[in-house]
Amino acid sequence: MSQLHFFADPQWIIPNVIAPFIFTAVALMFFQNVSGSLALYAVLGGGMMGMWGNTLYGAGFALGFDRWNGTLEYVLATPSRLVWIVAGRSASSAVLGLVNAIAILCIAVFGYRAELGIANPVLFLLALVLTLASLSSLGVLFSSSFLLTRSASVMTNGLEMPIYVASGSMFPIALLPFWSHPFSWSLGPTWGIEAMRYAAYGELGLGFWIDILVVFASTIIYLAIGFWLFGIVERKVRRDATLVEY
Amino acid sequence: MEIRDLPEKPEKAIVVSDLRRIYRSSKGVFRKKQEIVEAVKGISFEVEFGELFGLVGPNGAGKTTTIKMLTTLLTPTSGAAKVLGFDVAKDVIDIRRRIGIIFGGERGLYYRVSGRENLRYFADLYGVPVSKRDKRITDLLDLVGLSDRADTKVEGYSRGMKQRLHIAKGLINDPDVIFMDEPTIGLDPEAARETRAMIKGLVEKGKTILLTTHYMFEADELCSRIAVISNGKIVALDSPSELKKFVKDITVIEVEAFGLANTDLDVLRRQADVTNVSAELEGERQIVRIQTPRGSEFIPTVTKLLSRAKIVDIRTKEPTLEDAYLKLVA
Repeated sequence: MSQLHFFADPQWIIPNVIAPFIFTAVALMFFQNVSGSLALYAVLGGGMMGMWGNTLYGAGFALGFDRWNGTLEYVLATPSRLVWIVAGRSASSAVLGLVNAIAILCIAVFGYRAELGIANPVLFLLALVLTLASLSSLGVLFSSSFLLTRSASVMTNGLEMPIYVASGSMFPIALLPFWSHPFSWSLGPTWGIEAMRYAAYGELGLGFWIDILVVFASTIIYLAIGFWLFGIVERKVRRDATLVEY
Repeated sequence: MEIRDLPEKPEKAIVVSDLRRIYRSSKGVFRKKQEIVEAVKGISFEVEFGELFGLVGPNGAGKTTTIKMLTTLLTPTSGAAKVLGFDVAKDVIDIRRRIGIIFGGERGLYYRVSGRENLRYFADLYGVPVSKRDKRITDLLDLVGLSDRADTKVEGYSRGMKQRLHIAKGLINDPDVIFMDEPTIGLDPEAARETRAMIKGLVEKGKTILLTTHYMFEADELCSRIAVISNGKIVALDSPSELKKFVKDITVIEVEAFGLANTDLDVLRRQADVTNVSAELEGERQIVRIQTPRGSEFIPTVTKLLSRAKIVDIRTKEPTLEDAYLKLVA
């Protein structure tokens, strides 16, 4: 439903098509006539924008919209647990972001003639799927806090850039200040993006499989924490009567 | 009527025992001052299976808070309530599976998709089997008279159509108990009449309904029993005919006038023979209802006290449920 509603408003094109495309185009223009790692950063960065931006929409903005629209109470009043509804929205939004990422890849390859070799497409796909799962579960984790506030849309805006930058999708984490590295490595998508690079370059040693393990484990951990937090938050909003405030 | 999947059928559909609800809020930024409002102050009542039970009261009396506690949207501060034998604080999912909620109003629907898509979404959230879902949606759209507009976006619906869609949404899971919070508010008379007819039809099918309303004639027409709630407490609970006995010794003098001032009404209220005065505006006319045990003998006194206004008509009436309500909440 949130996707149907989302597409009914033409504004969806801006954050989900235009913005990632512009980022990728700018990055590719900066690194014209390059291939390999920098071009891959440009494409992964643009793709990540689409995937994470959509995930945040499904996990957060949609909740804020439900609150403003008066549908949040009705949704909570159903026997379907809210955490499953949010998880479904988060996952479907992340997959929708994948379509965006594929479009960016096509534009980069055919439009800008970026040379992007993917040495092992199957394992690249595995890393991509796990990264999507990790993004979705991160969305579920954050969305429990969105239920507590009337400003979910503001919070989602604030969460976009830190994840793009810290996950190393746009440029290497080594370029970031050293004190930010622990935060970067605590994010499941960081390991997933790294696994995707390993698969693209054909470097499938221990590093790749550690990344796969960590991104998988992070997904489970985020989901477990998210489910636990949702239980607490739902009881709190029923106790404090904050569902109708908008 | 079948009560599905219950280990044993409870005696009553709804049982409320000393239910209380306190709201806490805070004012200020640095030195926060807490405010406490006790919206529901220990109410108790029971609703039988197949009954249409009314909860009436002025704005802020605690009706909506009561309904929200019974529909598990709010947790009671203290006391107990059971719906179909399930505790509203602990057995939340069991209750949600078996009840319908119709709050009505302009909000609460996804306006950029069609009525059918709204119903499909909520059918999925309620776990309606896919094999039954589409037929049930079609039947509900027929019931509420929206079949020909089912695939139009909700943003194009009139107020009455949105209300009908709310009703269809509230019935999507074929609930055993339906909670309706002012289902006809804001509707034109024809739409309101159709809605009341639909509500009566649901009772005939064996549904249990708890309804809140501001309209006493509606409560009188629909409800088998009514609880009058005022300032968080139930001040009376009985059938409409029994409630009217509260004012059986009263006559209502209805005055149609222009130019009445609030001070005129205050003078009336201070009279020893007046038990209640209410006033409303109908266009530019003021309609004042004066409850008095003295009957038509009191008319000359009323005429004299309201001599500064232009009186168009003055008549006596039998007291209605509204008069009983006004006396109870005064």
